[in-house]
Amino acid sequence: MSGSVTVARSLDQALDALRSGPDARLVAGGTDLMVEVNAGRWQPGTLVSVDRAPELRGWHRDGDEIVLGSGLTYAEMERGELARLVPALAQAARTVGSPQIRNAGTLGGNVVTASPAGDTLPVLTALDAVVQIAGPEGTRISPLREFVRGVKRTDLRAGEVVTAVRVPALRGAQEFLKVGTRNAMVISVVMVAVVVDLDGHTVRVGVGSAAPVPVRAPLAEEYVGALVDWERARMDDPTGEVAAQFGELVAQATSPIDDHRSTAAYRRRAVAVCAARAVRRAFQEPESP
Amino acid sequence: MNDVVRPVMQDAVAAAPTRVDGRDKVTGRARYAVEHPVEDVVWAWPVTSTVAKGRVTEIDASEANGTEGVIAVLTHANAPRLGETDDAELQLLQSDRVAYRGQVCALVVGETVESARAGADAVRVRYDEAEHDVVLDARHPAMFTPEKVNPGFPTDTSIGDPDTAFAVAAVQLDATYTTPTEHNHAMEPHATTASWGADGTLTLYDSNQGSTGVARVMADLFGLQVRAVHVISEHVGGGFGSKGTPRPNIVLAAMAAQAVGRPVRLALGRQHMFSLVGYRTPTIQRLRLGATTDGVLRSLVHDVWEQTSTLDDFAEQTAVISRMLYAAPARRTTHRLVRLDVPTPSWMRAPGEAPGSFALESAMDELAAACDLDPVELRVRNEPDVDPESGKPFSSRNLVACLREGARRFGWEQRDPTPGVRRDGRWLVGTGVASSTYPARTAPSQARMSIGSDGVVTVELNAVDIGTGSRTALTQIAAEAMDLPTDRVRLRIGDSTLPPAMIAGGSMGLTSWGSAIVKGARQLRELVGRRDGAIPEDGLEVTADTAEEVRAVSGYARHAFGAQFCEVRVDADTGEVRVPRLLGVFAVGRVINARTARSQLVGGMTMGLSMALHEEGVVDVQHGDNVNHDLAGYHIAAHADVADVDAMWLEEHDEHLNLVGAKGIGEIGIVGTAAAVANAVHHATGVRVRDLPIRVDRLLGRG
Ligand SMILES: Cc1cc2nc3c(=O)[nH]c(=O)nc-3n(C[C@H](O)[C@H](O)[C@H](O)COP(=O)(O)OP(=O)(O)OC[C@H]3O[C@@H](n4cnc5c(N)ncnc54)[C@H](O)[C@@H]3O)c2cc1C
Repeated sequence: MSGSVTVARSLDQALDALRSGPDARLVAGGTDLMVEVNAGRWQPGTLVSVDRAPELRGWHRDGDEIVLGSGLTYAEMERGELARLVPALAQAARTVGSPQIRNAGTLGGNVVTASPAGDTLPVLTALDAVVQIAGPEGTRISPLREFVRGVKRTDLRAGEVVTAVRVPALRGAQEFLKVGTRNAMVISVVMVAVVVDLDGHTVRVGVGSAAPVPVRAPLAEEYVGALVDWERARMDDPTGEVAAQFGELVAQATSPIDDHRSTAAYRRRAVAVCAARAVRRAFQEPESP
Repeated sequence: MNDVVRPVMQDAVAAAPTRVDGRDKVTGRARYAVEHPVEDVVWAWPVTSTVAKGRVTEIDASEANGTEGVIAVLTHANAPRLGETDDAELQLLQSDRVAYRGQVCALVVGETVESARAGADAVRVRYDEAEHDVVLDARHPAMFTPEKVNPGFPTDTSIGDPDTAFAVAAVQLDATYTTPTEHNHAMEPHATTASWGADGTLTLYDSNQGSTGVARVMADLFGLQVRAVHVISEHVGGGFGSKGTPRPNIVLAAMAAQAVGRPVRLALGRQHMFSLVGYRTPTIQRLRLGATTDGVLRSLVHDVWEQTSTLDDFAEQTAVISRMLYAAPARRTTHRLVRLDVPTPSWMRAPGEAPGSFALESAMDELAAACDLDPVELRVRNEPDVDPESGKPFSSRNLVACLREGARRFGWEQRDPTPGVRRDGRWLVGTGVASSTYPARTAPSQARMSIGSDGVVTVELNAVDIGTGSRTALTQIAAEAMDLPTDRVRLRIGDSTLPPAMIAGGSMGLTSWGSAIVKGARQLRELVGRRDGAIPEDGLEVTADTAEEVRAVSGYARHAFGAQFCEVRVDADTGEVRVPRLLGVFAVGRVINARTARSQLVGGMTMGLSMALHEEGVVDVQHGDNVNHDLAGYHIAAHADVADVDAMWLEEHDEHLNLVGAKGIGEIGIVGTAAAVANAVHHATGVRVRDLPIRVDRLLGRG
């Protein structure tokens, strides 16, 4: 066993270092990669550490969009101005791992790992996020729904670095709900993100852990979108029937499996419950002060 | 019996001495097994079998040997031969036989832990694989009746004619409960630093629950005199029973050190701990309770089926709790065992009582519902006058007082017994209760006590502090017995060259060690008194041995008791369970240090909560493995799952126990907790979960 670590202090240094050989691999927070190493699934060869590359850090606004650096940590997502701008992402970030994991783990790592249980993915899916990539042949973009190709499979090519993830800055409520088998440090059994776009008159939903890749539920989105009073940003649903129907439609868009954490039947049911809850919360009357 | 039942309040906790080794631990000065500085030390890492049954046909170590930093690869072909002991799990690298998946089949020694691990990854093992059998089933054709159950209880007991009594009972409950495989995961893994001296002596820094026995076993394995083996266990980061006997780490480290002629460190990885350090057997338990309509038990039958390995018979004493907790004129308990291609199960906090109480105390809750009786009242009605099986009086028995005091503090009186009717928004709310009990035992121990001319008392015995606070409590016991302030007492423990003492296990560490210290103090004070207090220059010394006191037959049945009350909230739609409140009231004899005692009880209850909701070793039938053999997959309760857990105790004076007057508190906290949670879940939802853990899909799948 022999390995080396290159600490890239810029994106260019990272790209250069990746060219050093086919076994070179990026490491950001290391919270997924080191698990692979410990489990013996990957022998560390050349590691290129990117947590000191300023181009990948932080976030900024770019017109109607928000550019989330791939090196953004969960601790950074969960508070401050960004948490106000993309509340579902903040809610998702708060449910990840433990404080240690949230200080180290990054958005880029979550996206590139592309686990069905990656907690940011349903949010990014609901937001129609776009992945920004730099590589030997220059830069390119890849919509998230194309970028994530299957369980832990992505469209990332050799020598490429995810630099950022772009999401729209939307006006409207956002909700993220997750069911796990314990209260923290848990691999999600299901999660649901609901994002309301008051200007575009759409309700979008992203579901995780219920199919090989995060899924949207177009029928559910259309169904509820048509029933929202967009002027008042309210959904008339005194009996809860609309929310329940929405939940059912979302569940129908999934294809969950049985595993030791849960059953497919439970997952489908939990998706319906979470989706219904999320949409109710998104349109509930603002609490009187 | 002269018990004064007065609950001990929080100020007792605040007033209790803090841990004498607390500062050393939080500053990192306290050294654990692989942290002691040793010159020229190397590391070892085990290679474990990837089949569940068969023979190793070939081990190709060529790539491993070529790996940078690798010094040696030990296999059954070249490892030192070991002597016999009665633990077949310790016959490591002695044969090509594979008895379970995850068994050690090679050991790689490297300059660093990383090189040893890389070498281990490079070892190629070929097997002649045989078909394995890893699934526990009550109807397994190979079920047999073990000779005894752990640690020496009769396998089956029977009084009267429980079948007829059941058949004619007005109220009958016949239900089967199961608990899954559960694993011990102390913070510090099983770890050893081993070095051989030029004179053939063996020095071992080892993480264990009692090094007197470890030294003896190591001497037998390596053909040494016991005095040539020195085991040092100054600080130990938890054990829960899994470090009560020597484990593969110490044997492998000593073998490797012998083979390479250098000191060796070996700390098992988390994943090794799923197969190499014992675990709690899964259990299948059938309870038959026959009662009058008033809830008075006429018949109690508890039948248990569980597993062991093909290497050794370990039979968990699961039904033993049903022999003493309640009165019933006709009763029976049985244990059946099957040898599967799995690792040998072993001790895990409250072996027997922990899984047994889940079944018995769930069944009592079901019986209370069937008799339309309050579950506290049902238990009170079945309180025995004497130990139901032996007929001996109890040395003290305050179960009813614990139930009543707990009910009062918990606010049980207003409880509406109807299940599934309390709602708070999306939450269904319910409460449950269960009894706790654990034997109060004492084992022979020795203590050497000396006093110097400066008046400082030195206490030496091979006790061990596995994180429980025993170092602190023993210092207090010694100071009190000598009538000195604690800063005049020096305590030395955790070293096999000290006078032999009981292990930290069976909830009898403190009572056994403390008794030896109290006896030693009496002898020492007498000696000092005979000299009118004049202490010679080179001091005075005595060695006390409690073998005689312990052997003296007691006319009493001795047990600790408690009652646990639990509130749960169950999400009506997703089935997620939250436990906002857990209260334990115990009667455990004298409490030496309220701070560390409370911590033990709360810790046990937290582990019980974890057992109720999370812990489940999932069997991989196809590969004969655990599906979840790491802490990402094997869940224990996280901080966010543990809300308000509180423990208190009643003042209890019991002269029939031991010289300390204490009952031991290491295990009782976990006994009954899972049933209290399951009973509360039933009260909240109307769904009776008889299979642990209480998983969301199990809750929603029925109902
Ligand atoms: C104890 C624990 C708890 C966890 N809990 C959760 C949880 O609750 N929810 C959840 O979703 N995840 C969880 N995870 C998984 C992990 O923390 C997240 O997926 C995290 O976002 C990974 O980010 P990282 O920076 O640590 O990635 P790394 O481990 O550094 O990298 C992961 C992968 O991404 C690649 N990579 C990293 N950055 C880039 C980049 N800029 N461009 C291209 N490729 C890149 C790496 O080469 C590697 O293949 C947990 C992990 C642990 C160990």
